[in-house]
Amino acid sequence: MRPVSGSRARLPRGEGPGAWLAAGSVALSLLALLALLSLLAVRGLGHFWPAPVALVVLEDGRQLAGERVREVPLPEGTGRERLYRTGNRDLDGARWAWVPVSAITAVSHPRDLVVLERRRWGEAIGRLTALESVTGERLEGEAAWAALEGRLVELAALRRARDTLRDEVILPRVRALEAGGDVDRELAIANARLRELQAAMEGGRLILATADGGQLTVPLEEVLRARRPNAMSPPDKLATWGEGVWRFLSEGPRAANTAGGVWPAIFGTVLMVMLMSVLVTPFGVLAAIYLNEVAHQGRLTRLVRIAVRNLAGVPSIVYGVFGLGVFVYGIGGTLDEWFFDATLPSPTFGTGGLLWASLTLALLTLPVVIVATEEGLARIPDQQREGALALGATRLEMLTRVVLPMATPAMLTGVILAVARAAGEVAPLMLVGVAKLAPQVPVDGDFPFLHLDRKFMHLGYHIFDAAFHGGDVQSAMPLVYATALLLVLVILVLNLTAIFLRHHLSTRHGALTRR
Amino acid sequence: MPDSSSPPSIRRRLRQGRDRLATVLVTAGGIGVIAALLAIGVFLVVEVVPLFWPTGATETISPQALWLSLEAAGDPARYRWDPTATLGTDEAARVSLVPLAWGTLEAAAWALLIAVPLALGAAAHSALFMAPRLRSRLKPTLELMEALPGVVIGFVAGLVLAPWVERHLADVLAMLVLLVPGLLLAGGLWSRLPPRLQQAMPLGWAGLWLLPWLLLLLVAAHALSPWLEAWAFGGDLRHWLEVRLGLDIAVRNAMIVGMAMGFAVMPSVYALAEDALSGVPRSLAEGAQALGATRWQTLWRVVLPAASPGIFSAVMIGAGRAVGETMIVLMASGNAALMTWNPLDGLRSLAATIAIELPEAGPGGQHYRLLLLAALLLFAFTFLVNTLAELVRTRLRLRYRRLGGGP
Amino acid sequence: MSAILRRCLAPWLLLAMLGAPQALAQQVAGTLGAVGSDTMAGLMLRWGEALTRQHPGIRLQLQTSGSASAPPALVAGTTRLGPMSRPMNEAERRAFIERHGYPPREVAVARDALVVVVHRHNPLESLGERELDAIFSDSRRCGAREGINRWRQLGLDEPEGRIRLHGRNAASGTQALFRRVALCGGHFRPEVNEHPGSAAVVAAVAEDPRAIGYAGLNHLTPGVKALARRDAEGTRHFPDPRAVRRGDYALSRDLYLYLNLPPGESLPAAERAFLDLVLSPAGQAIVEELGFVALPETRRLRQRQGLALDDAGR
Repeated sequence: MRPVSGSRARLPRGEGPGAWLAAGSVALSLLALLALLSLLAVRGLGHFWPAPVALVVLEDGRQLAGERVREVPLPEGTGRERLYRTGNRDLDGARWAWVPVSAITAVSHPRDLVVLERRRWGEAIGRLTALESVTGERLEGEAAWAALEGRLVELAALRRARDTLRDEVILPRVRALEAGGDVDRELAIANARLRELQAAMEGGRLILATADGGQLTVPLEEVLRARRPNAMSPPDKLATWGEGVWRFLSEGPRAANTAGGVWPAIFGTVLMVMLMSVLVTPFGVLAAIYLNEVAHQGRLTRLVRIAVRNLAGVPSIVYGVFGLGVFVYGIGGTLDEWFFDATLPSPTFGTGGLLWASLTLALLTLPVVIVATEEGLARIPDQQREGALALGATRLEMLTRVVLPMATPAMLTGVILAVARAAGEVAPLMLVGVAKLAPQVPVDGDFPFLHLDRKFMHLGYHIFDAAFHGGDVQSAMPLVYATALLLVLVILVLNLTAIFLRHHLSTRHGALTRR
Repeated sequence: MPDSSSPPSIRRRLRQGRDRLATVLVTAGGIGVIAALLAIGVFLVVEVVPLFWPTGATETISPQALWLSLEAAGDPARYRWDPTATLGTDEAARVSLVPLAWGTLEAAAWALLIAVPLALGAAAHSALFMAPRLRSRLKPTLELMEALPGVVIGFVAGLVLAPWVERHLADVLAMLVLLVPGLLLAGGLWSRLPPRLQQAMPLGWAGLWLLPWLLLLLVAAHALSPWLEAWAFGGDLRHWLEVRLGLDIAVRNAMIVGMAMGFAVMPSVYALAEDALSGVPRSLAEGAQALGATRWQTLWRVVLPAASPGIFSAVMIGAGRAVGETMIVLMASGNAALMTWNPLDGLRSLAATIAIELPEAGPGGQHYRLLLLAALLLFAFTFLVNTLAELVRTRLRLRYRRLGGGP
Repeated sequence: MSAILRRCLAPWLLLAMLGAPQALAQQVAGTLGAVGSDTMAGLMLRWGEALTRQHPGIRLQLQTSGSASAPPALVAGTTRLGPMSRPMNEAERRAFIERHGYPPREVAVARDALVVVVHRHNPLESLGERELDAIFSDSRRCGAREGINRWRQLGLDEPEGRIRLHGRNAASGTQALFRRVALCGGHFRPEVNEHPGSAAVVAAVAEDPRAIGYAGLNHLTPGVKALARRDAEGTRHFPDPRAVRRGDYALSRDLYLYLNLPPGESLPAAERAFLDLVLSPAGQAIVEELGFVALPETRRLRQRQGLALDDAGR
């Protein structure tokens, strides 16, 4: 450390130590960013990779089987302990086991360990001892495994058929029934069909020998998926990984948001952001045109401009408070009194919902759009406007034919920046309409199809909820990582689009816009 | 333009009428939007007033209760925030906003303490030394960093970073100790490299090739930390802090919040500071360098003073963001409404309190209005800070214009 | 197999077919609305799923914005089911009677408890009522002479230093129950870290050997250890399901469903099906699966009788 000061004189261009500290701070920031992103990527994507299942033998002869999750030092400072995900919660009441590393005498990865994903009680891990098929036949060994795999395929098809039947036939008829329609007969037939399907799913069970010597009997109908991770080849694992990622993206959450996918949250986020941009674009552009083209450019306009810029810096939670007080309680409450009197006091619009959330975020991002559009407008040389006016155009024509087309990229940039900001914003949403679990997405076949009063799920809030509210933080963590990664990716894509657009804009209009 | 000669005049009048209508609409719309934005402040004030002014809507609260409270009656509690337990009961209300304001400012201060040196260093480096190609890539990268959602940063800080730091306190300290000498060492070593290698790793790209060096420093810090702990702190840093300094350590503490929020605030400070630095007219810097100053001296003596108002406004904007950031504080701070100077203790901010408690507070009630008062404080503070920054920046722009060149 | 598939994939075809006139006597269909507790959201969801299995025409629409939202909805008649994690208070009950002329029907459907947890390696096994109050509160209304903020004060050497406190946020029913029972209605110390969910409390305690916190029983994980509660005589009450079911463990509570049921009338079909499920062994198995405690058998049967749910075969 000492030689630095001595060597300073000999630096070829003596920049001094400051230059190195400055360079270091760039590197440090980049390092932090890289660390964060790679943490999210590794943990988020790694979760879907089928981890090997270890069979652990302890000093006292006990055995347990599970996926190794992590290792931490013991609090006394000597030795470490390991966390295994052991499943079988219906047997021992816990999904996890902490084991001191010093107590482990042997770890092996037998190929016949089976991991079952079940509809109830979470995972089950053990050896498949026997399978009783639907017909009551008892199979053992490899035959049992083959039969299980075959049956799972059948079950998946039956489940799909059942869900289609319920969503596309029964529910519309139930709605019709509630609306006074005469669909009793159709409904009876459909229900009978559903019972048939359900009956076809029932029957059969498998018997699992757990590592600690217990026995677990699982009805086949409750098994969602089964795999033997230790016996899988890398391509198999890759396929399972892909399937896992796909299910994460396409399915709804299960088990109080600690398992399953995030499809409703993706849907809710995108829908809310779309609504928000539909709301914010015209108003933002209108305000920018007014400020830049119509208003008298005096002291007042300057003040307003400063105020608008400042509003971009007002904390988002304050916008949330405004949304709750004015939109939800104020306007929503009044709307309820006028139009939804029948359902009061349970609120329709007087509670948080999609519309209010979009409006609040639109307000939050208005300054962004106004500022960006104004910048675009200001960059258009006055000659263009004067030329149009000199050729006899009215101001409206000048605006719509000359100015706005030239300012479009700037407007787009503003909207995309607004979208990127809104997609990551969570705090105001907690006040105005996000839900931890909204089984009904805000779009469905019921009139008026888009339900602005419904609560919705949001990726950002899903992260918060699963990491702090959910049933079991430990089991939710991988999904939280994956959701965070997804959210970051969405925002990165939006931002890159904005950056690209702006770049494009500055090169295209570079010649024009130099004043 | 009085022109009333030919039949087209009807069309023209139509066009003019449409134009006038459009102007009116744009004016109305524009004023409406701006009014809606400004209504936020008005709304907050209107809702908060009944707290102090008896209107019959709610019981009022004495302004003193919001600051000091409850020293009487042998109750040791001062400055307590516990509205759900005390509002509407016959106990003295514990609704002091002081601990919340304290927490907010403390978190912001730590965030700035970390963000400002980093951001200014990065800005100086990229304005003066960095290769143009790297610079054109770095700016968007840091903009991406700015767009990272608070909920992601807060989650990583609260659930990953905080427990890790608590377990590896000595590593973190060793890293802090090693950081500055390590970077200087890098500079010293670099100057002794053969010129060919120096050209392969120019200072303009140092932001990138210092990354592995930093990783190396991290490893070194990890290796050195037991020695450091044994040598300076009697073997156990945590114990030493607790016994010798009397500092209690919470897992989620002000330092963690500061690190996470510093990370979140740094890009916006950087962007503004970099604008200010690179906006300084070229002629100034070139003049200084022609007189024999190094680039660093130019920066320190010429560019920085010229750009100081811009830097000031960058820091102000950063402060505004740090004060209002909700999710990071909510997830990384532990939400304990304490007032201590101890950076390793928890805190609770205004914004986080609003986010947790407002959904459960019935509209129109005292608790609701108190939380709105908290929002009003945040609004007023950030609005003031931002206005100050904006004014300073406008003045700076004028100055540059006078100095010649600049935007 | 393929025959099944073909038929399943074309449910519409099936309807277009003549359709044998199947006499399905109990055609239960409709929407079942429920407004209320957040704690019970998971339970209600799972019960709803199970119900849809049995009666595919029934939809459960759930709004869980907190126990306090149930009574107003019941009073107004917008919902007939109100899940609540606490009993209705006097004012809420009075409002209901004023509107409808009869009291709401209260059905206990499960039991829940709050547990005090420490890190799994903490040697502490139990805490006295006063000690607990002295740890968490600065008002000490349960009668402790001085506050406890160091592990040493509990006679332990192992986790040294200050006790790190974790709890729920102010608006939650969990915090209110803990305050009422464990703090004798007093005030929490400001040092208590307030988490927005019970799971977060457990996760924080599992990471930190010096931590103590309270959370819902259903959030327990192997990362933490639940402490027994010593009453004034020194008897230990461990929060195991049996003690919770019996009510020996003081920090426990019932979870309720409130119904709008005029006296003398029988339940409408959808509600009946729902309660039948909830108070069946299968429904109570869901309670246990989610980590709550099932009702004592006698109580379950008594409630079934009270609601005139037929006991045949169940």
